[in-house]
Amino acid sequence: MLIPRRVKHRKQHHPDRHGMSKGGNEIAFGEFGIQALEPTYLTNRQIEAARIAMTRYIKRGGKVWINVFPDRPITKKPAETRMGSGKGSPEWWIVNVKPGRVLFELAGVPEPVAREAMRLAMHKLPMKCRFVRREGGDI
Amino acid sequence: MSEIKLAAERRTSFGKGAARKVRRDNKIPAVLYGHGTDPVHITLPAHETALALKAANALLSIDIQGTSQLALAKDVQRDPIRPIIEHIDLVIVRRGEKVTVDVPVHVEGDAGPDTIVNIEQNTIELLVEATNIPVAIVVSVEDLAAGTQIKAGELTMPEGAVLVTDEDALVVNITGLSAEEPEAELEVSEADSAEAAATESE
Repeated sequence: MLIPRRVKHRKQHHPDRHGMSKGGNEIAFGEFGIQALEPTYLTNRQIEAARIAMTRYIKRGGKVWINVFPDRPITKKPAETRMGSGKGSPEWWIVNVKPGRVLFELAGVPEPVAREAMRLAMHKLPMKCRFVRREGGDI
Repeated sequence: MSEIKLAAERRTSFGKGAARKVRRDNKIPAVLYGHGTDPVHITLPAHETALALKAANALLSIDIQGTSQLALAKDVQRDPIRPIIEHIDLVIVRRGEKVTVDVPVHVEGDAGPDTIVNIEQNTIELLVEATNIPVAIVVSVEDLAAGTQIKAGELTMPEGAVLVTDEDALVVNITGLSAEEPEAELEVSEADSAEAAATESE
């Protein structure tokens, strides 16, 4: 699973979920991609689940790129704990995804295979997504 | 590539309010500059412009109130979600002038069995005449075996085009398939996560 090797601060504030993605909105490496349509906190487990769904479907051949990295810790207080006594302990690693961001890319497989692999992967993700493909003028 | 004619109007009001009003009228705010001339602020018809820009390096003939100018799209700002072009930077070109453009690389044919075709560079930079920009550089990978590498210098250039990209730059790389690829990847990623958890520090 994707996780930072070391971090400067163990606990961070929650990132802002508003606005649109500023960059990484177009396919950069492959031929096909999954683009987020809603803002979300995407965890490393969800990224891994989507990647496994994709790679298991395409079996052999093809190349997968993961364009996001979960580098932000999110903390959680234990259940049935009174308020106060400081911030909870790190529980998840997330990436703050905003609408428009291309999360995964795929190349080296025919389009029907890519569509189905990415459909399966999208079911593992917590927000609305869509399948995108590279177009002539978008390079 | 032939010229695509677009009728433009001069823009006199600026700022985000004016730009949004232009977009509501199904037009695109744009700016035209180049060759030391003062920038000209214009609006373009949204639908026709979007169709024209579907092809890479489209040569546009911009008609501004009777005067026509050839231009290439230098920068296109798109909405990240909706299929809307928000703004276009157009650079003036002249007939016969040579321009540096990124031309897409298209791969055709099927490589040999048990191979993956990796396109390492999706575009290559060429110096070509503005009125004669190739649509794409076609690379045939028919029956090529694993381990074959096609470099930029080996590509067949269209007539009059000069390669700007480094000749040794890898464009297409054909690699072999490994049978247990997905499982191997899984093992690696699990090992990575264990290592990362161990080294987490403040």
